[in-house]
This record gives sequence, structure tokens and C-alpha cells, in this order.
Amino acid sequence: MSEEKSLEGWTPEISDAATLAEVVDRAFDYRGDVTVVLQDGRELIGYLFNRNRDVAEPFVQMFEREGSGPSSIPYARIRAIRFTGKDTAAGNSYAAWLRGKEAAKAASSPPGA
Amino acid sequence: MSVPVSQMWTVATYVLGQRLRGNTRYPLVLMLEPLFRCNLACAGCGKIQYPGHVLRKHLSVEQCLAAVEECGAPMVSIPGGEPLMYPEIGRLVKELVARRKYVYLCTNAILLKEKLEAGLFTPSKYLSFSVHMDGLKQEHDEAVCRDGVFDQAVEGMKEALRRGFRVTTNTTLFDNASPIRMQMFFDEMMDLGVEGMMLSPGYSYSKAPDQEHFLRRQKTNELFSKMLENPKKRWKFNQSPLFLQFLMGKQDFECTPWGNPTYNLFGWQRPCYLLQEGYAPTFKELMETTRWEEYGRRSGNDKCQDCMVHCGHEPTAVNHTFTSWKGFRDTVAATVTGRL
Repeated sequence: MSEEKSLEGWTPEISDAATLAEVVDRAFDYRGDVTVVLQDGRELIGYLFNRNRDVAEPFVQMFEREGSGPSSIPYARIRAIRFTGKDTAAGNSYAAWLRGKEAAKAASSPPGA
Repeated sequence: MSVPVSQMWTVATYVLGQRLRGNTRYPLVLMLEPLFRCNLACAGCGKIQYPGHVLRKHLSVEQCLAAVEECGAPMVSIPGGEPLMYPEIGRLVKELVARRKYVYLCTNAILLKEKLEAGLFTPSKYLSFSVHMDGLKQEHDEAVCRDGVFDQAVEGMKEALRRGFRVTTNTTLFDNASPIRMQMFFDEMMDLGVEGMMLSPGYSYSKAPDQEHFLRRQKTNELFSKMLENPKKRWKFNQSPLFLQFLMGKQDFECTPWGNPTYNLFGWQRPCYLLQEGYAPTFKELMETTRWEEYGRRSGNDKCQDCMVHCGHEPTAVNHTFTSWKGFRDTVAATVTGRL
């Protein structure tokens, strides 16, 4: 697993230090659900799978957790993004599998072997 | 090499037709991912790490067929996820075969026997089950992080072969691969009766659980050179011999990222099957608005420096075969002599 720390639980403030475009890029790369807070206060929870800044009105696209989508949301309507869902790419599943295999081997070996 | 003549003819006429029309960028194989859900969680795979509600979704057959028509590639590879978990896989394959597309259904084969017994598929020269096999039993079960999968896959392959289906294998290699063990694997697959084998080095997906074992370029050359230096006549590879020479360091190919475009739930993936840098709503938009010059080794893009994966480089090899005398001559020589 990559040593990079998971963004799970991150609630960045949109500012000069973390611009909206940067936070959107991190959300796009994040393999878990996020909560998109709109300018009118509404919150959309779901998987943000695309973003496009190379158009006149930059937008993100997401599948909402309750099943609807894909929906497009202009950057201009986004106030904040929170990384609220479980990061499905985090965790060391390969190492965990190897550990489990070693443990099973050890358990099946005769004592003193 | 084991690609059937009718398939080679289809690809050759398609490539030459594109060149005659003056097209320099055209797709060769559509990578159609109808779902991300899988019944395995392999260490080197970065394709399936999504929230549950995304994994439960899948494309409709109509969406798949529209993508196939829009793309126009003569071959369609169906990876995923595990395509045999796609509820409409039987109908999708039937529709693709009716359109005379050469279909490679890329499966771990855990469900293959069950689906064959259910009568989901009919043998056809257009349909090949491309079974994921990462080596002999020990290596394969380790790569897929589950014991017993190798045996299940072999059982499925035997059943498919018994019923008259085309069966090939696809193997991803990592830096812990042993050339001798791989040669034993080639023998075992040929003994089983598979039509041909496909090989590729793995790509270091940033989301894959195991980051330690991806091959770098020089190691790839060394591994493939040792493995394929004196190939047995009986080993059949269902892929371009020039691509295998590239993996051995005998050819120098640049990536053709548009050669195997990918369509899935999110749209047309930019720029390739491996990198996810965004999605386009249409194939046309993918082709016209992706900054292709930013990808491939010569672009200097870090993510492309060690990549030698089939989806970007095999289209280059195929184009080289059908668009240059040297490429054609090298391909014929390798095909006739069996030497790489």
C-alpha cells in the first residue's frame, strides 16, 4: 500500500492554501464518498468521479449515495467538500492477506516443527 | 503466434483502411467495463476500490452497445470488475458477436463453469474467454489473494474447451516472477489446450494494495528476455510478437494511449485504461480533447516512464506490423520461425 496518508475525515476550508480547484482534484482522486456542500447550504453525499476545468463553466460529476446520478455541479455552486466516506483504497489488504496466510501456516504446522 | 487468420485479416484491413483514410489516431480494442464489482480483490488491481453504491451499479446492454458502435474498434475486451457477475453478460456477448466484433471476455473463471452449464454462451470464432492466470497454482493464488482460485479457473477452462469455446489466458507479471516457473506455466497452459497466452507487465496503479512488486522497465526487459529467449514451438501467444519483442527490449515502441480506449460507468476514461485523469461523455470528445502529447514515455510524464503495458504498447506493435515493411517482415519472421 502506498505510504500516502488517507484523506478520510478531511474537512478542508476553501482558502488560498487549499483552493477549490485543489480540493476538487483531491476529491476526484479519493476512492470514497464525499459530502459536497453547496452555496445554498444543501449537502450532496456521493462519489465524485469526474471534474472538468477545461470548459467555460468548470463542473464536477457525482453519483449520489442514495442512487441518483450522475449529476453535474458547477464549481461556482460549491462552498466546501468534506471527505466523509470510507477510503476504499486505504488499508493494507495484501499485507493482511500475507499475514493471514502465514498465521494459517503456523497454526497448521506440528509443534516444534 | 495463435491469433486466428480471420481475426488477423479483420485487424489488418481495419488498420489499412484507417491509414488510407488518413486517420492517425484510431482505436484497436475497446476496453468495455460494464461493472466494477468483482469476486476477488487482487493485490495488484486498482480497478475495484469504490464505495458499495458504485460497485452495485452497472452499465445497461444498450449503453455498452452504443459505446461499441461509437468507438468502432474491431475488437472488444470485456474486463471489469468480473464480467461474469454482470447480470446481462450473455445478452451482451450475443449482441457483440452478432456485430462480428472479436470479443475477449476477461474473467477470473471462478463462475465460468456455472455460466457455461447455464447455457449463457454459444461457441463462436468471435468469442474467446481470456482467463486471468498469473502463473502456476502457488503464484496465481498468491496474486489473487485467495487459495483455490487456480484450480477453479482450470476447471472452468477445461469445461469451456470441452464445449468448443476459444480459451486464452492473460497473465500479469510482477517483479517476483521466476522465468523458470513461468516457462513451466506456459507448458501447463499448453497441456490444458488453450489457444494462446497473453502476457503483460503489471502497472503500478496508485490505488493497488501491493505497491512493492511492480516491474520497472529494465527489470521487465530482463524478465521477458530470460522467459522468452528460447521459446518452445508449442508455446502459443495470442498477441503481437513485436509486443513481446518490445517487452524483451528488442523493439522500442512509444505508447498509443488511444489504441485501447476504456468505457465504463463514468464515461470514456482519459487518457487510457490505466490512468484515470477524467472522463469524456463521448468517444469523439475523448479523441478530440484529450491532450495526448502529455502521455507516453517521450512526454516525460512520470506516470508513463515505467509503463510497458499491453493496452498502450500492443496497438503500437500492431500498427507497426501493418504500416511498415520492417514491422511486417519482423512479424512474419517471428510467426514463421517461432523465435522472438
